[in-house]
Amino acid sequence: MSETSESDEVRELFVQDGVLLFSAAASFINFVKSVGTLMITEYSDGTKFIEWKPIDVTVDSDIQDQEWAVVNTVEKRIRTLSGTVPPEHKNRSKYLRISFEDIKSFRISDKSRRLTLNDGKSEPICTYLFQHGNCDHLVGCLKTLVKTVASRRDKHLFIIPDIKDPEHEKIDRSFAELNVCTDSAYAWKLWNNFQERPVVATFEAFAKITDLVYRGPEHREIDADDVKEILNRSITEYESTTTTHSQGDYEVIDVPDLPKRRDFPRGKPLNLEQWLGVQDNEGRIEDSECIKLMIFQGGIVPSLREEVWKYLLDYYPWNCTKIERQKLVSQKNDEYFSMKLQWKTMTKTQEDNFTDYKERKTQIEKDVSRTDRTIDFYAGDNNPNLQILNDILMTYVMYNFDLGYVQGMSDLLSPILHLMQSEVDAFWCFVGFMNKLSSNFDADQVGMKEQLSNLHTILAFIDPDLAAYFDSHDSGNMFFCFRWLLVWFKRELSEEDCMSFWEVLWTGFPCDNFHLLICCAILTEEKRKLMDNNFGFTEILKHINELCGQLNVEKILNDAQGIFYQIKESEQLTDVVRLLLGLPILSNNSFDNHETSPFEESIDASNGSSSSPPKCSVDNVRISPDEVTFEKSLSSNFL
Amino acid sequence: MSSARVNMRPSSKNTLLKVVILGDGRVGKSCLMNRFVSNQFDEHSFHTIGVEFLNKDLNLDDCTYTLQIWDTAGQERFRTLRTPFYRGSDICMLTYAIDDKSTFSNLQMWKNEFLYYADIKENTPFPFIVVGNKSDLSSTEREVSQVEMETWCNENGITSYIETSAKDANNVQEAFRMAVRQWIKLETRADKNEIPFNDTVDLKTKHVEGRTSCCIGSGDE
Repeated sequence: MSETSESDEVRELFVQDGVLLFSAAASFINFVKSVGTLMITEYSDGTKFIEWKPIDVTVDSDIQDQEWAVVNTVEKRIRTLSGTVPPEHKNRSKYLRISFEDIKSFRISDKSRRLTLNDGKSEPICTYLFQHGNCDHLVGCLKTLVKTVASRRDKHLFIIPDIKDPEHEKIDRSFAELNVCTDSAYAWKLWNNFQERPVVATFEAFAKITDLVYRGPEHREIDADDVKEILNRSITEYESTTTTHSQGDYEVIDVPDLPKRRDFPRGKPLNLEQWLGVQDNEGRIEDSECIKLMIFQGGIVPSLREEVWKYLLDYYPWNCTKIERQKLVSQKNDEYFSMKLQWKTMTKTQEDNFTDYKERKTQIEKDVSRTDRTIDFYAGDNNPNLQILNDILMTYVMYNFDLGYVQGMSDLLSPILHLMQSEVDAFWCFVGFMNKLSSNFDADQVGMKEQLSNLHTILAFIDPDLAAYFDSHDSGNMFFCFRWLLVWFKRELSEEDCMSFWEVLWTGFPCDNFHLLICCAILTEEKRKLMDNNFGFTEILKHINELCGQLNVEKILNDAQGIFYQIKESEQLTDVVRLLLGLPILSNNSFDNHETSPFEESIDASNGSSSSPPKCSVDNVRISPDEVTFEKSLSSNFL
Repeated sequence: MSSARVNMRPSSKNTLLKVVILGDGRVGKSCLMNRFVSNQFDEHSFHTIGVEFLNKDLNLDDCTYTLQIWDTAGQERFRTLRTPFYRGSDICMLTYAIDDKSTFSNLQMWKNEFLYYADIKENTPFPFIVVGNKSDLSSTEREVSQVEMETWCNENGITSYIETSAKDANNVQEAFRMAVRQWIKLETRADKNEIPFNDTVDLKTKHVEGRTSCCIGSGDE
């Protein structure tokens, strides 16, 4: 939401009444659930916005009343106009104004009655409910103003490619100059070709642009069906590589040998001198990527962990000064204790009338007493640290009630609290960790299923034999890796090893989903034992469970890094694997999550010089697996 | 128990039985399994993540049964990843803690979940055994009486029930033996009623007349 000066001349390109603001940022909380007018506006400097304003007279307290919204029936009114706005519309301070630049995608649901705008992180900015008619007109208008592309994963989701991207802009301009239709259909075709024949397509693409110039405009029209067809095809291709586990017919199964796996001995851990060295006089860290790389290569000396973890877990921003940090800590301290007070002051009656809360509370109590009790820090009866562990988890329930508490979370918190020894610091670091791993704890476990499916996809690429073995032994669902993934190997490693392992993974280097490569490293190491013994589903599960306490962190990190480079340097690298690892992609469906334009990436990758900054989020690649297939294959073990 | 008895049949017979232990968190599912399999008890063991299983041989009436015991995470959230493991079960052990009424109340839910996902035909008797764990606790801590347990079992047509203590190793072996006996009983009856040939144990168990639910108190046979 941006601030625009009031004096600007505004053109309303589209107006629709009777739109309820369903959800929005905190600053607009007073307007949530109230009805208003939705507009597309253009200011004199050319910037465009989606604006919503509450219905004129009503701004204050009674607006919250749901009844009111229903009673106040507004005449259906949709108009598209291009005149300047009458004077009374000039005071736009109460408007919820969202710049086109901030909208990276939008989703239509509830039979076009609900529209959600998302930001670059696919987080909703706000949601509108269309009480009269639907959002079709608005979306139609929107589509004439910005490029939109239907997501292949969700037919109700439309992605707005980043128009700010310099490469994209350049290409846009050249297309415009060529007078080729601005509809992205043609571009889609190019990208599709890049996917199929990267090198050839790159050169052909430019040749074809020339073709277009010489062709008459009547030949340039590419209709919407074309786009649909291309998208459909890419979806089908995509599905065939990810969901046919049980048949074992992978595109990648005939991949010739990968490059030889290289050795990546661990480096020296980040020490105090280096840590202070990267900070400026005021305590800012400019080059966080460099620090992360060092941690990725060698970890952190234990004495420095407490400090550095706060950065890795997004509690401290890298570029904040010492003074800003002090301010932040004091603010976070207050915030924590006010949340803690919320549940601390709950009466028994309140609890009894709040089943969801009570369930979470009981589960936490049960699990805290069974978390890391063998470690001195948590050992013994009435250990006060258990109470703190409990309190942090309870406060997290108040912080994120939807997620609440799920088994496994106490495992993730335990080492953090042990290290921080401070309730507040541990809480905020835990929040950062949960932000990275929250999909592991989805209500329906979709996040876990996706990861297991993604793991299979990657394994099938680097070791088709082993993946095929799992498939033919009722284990293609990779369920035996569930515990590894849920708590990031916490149960398999000693506390010390776990700490050095997690901090490496938190860096986000060298690629997305590196933890899946860790799994691959271990599985390929165990391959001979599993296959030579002809283990079936139960034996595989048992064998993997029994690796608990047997893993060597340095070795698995080394191996996983080796695998990463094998994959990266492989000439047969598929888009699916690229997507999973956040590598530059050749296919045409990569708008979300990518800073670079698909064009740039395609060209870059086809030149064989692909290098993009690693991305830190482990969750930003979320491929929806065919759930039915997953369930089936899991069930089929026992048929 | 009866290993000294004269061997009436070939002793090489080994039957694999899949046993699923179900119940709320912290009732002692993993502890029961560990006590039974390795005779160990760890007061501060972890809660289970995912699924674990252990094998243990059990000799009963000169036959060897390999019990493949499956132990799952109890939280609702993990239901979709837990239930596929119910299929193909031979025995289901429904577990609660005698000091926690809510875990007892949830037995119905666990039983229903099991029957649904294990794909057991309706009205087919299935070898359930109800286990009230933590019998070592003092009577002041007890929230579920034995009578309540028996009543519930009778209402649900379950004839095998027992209180155990994984901590004190009390009745744990017995619970698993009882479960296997129950399996044998139902299996034998099924054989008599349906198929003339089988590969299961031919015990000298008398055919029990009537519905299972009518048999009261056979839990201590």
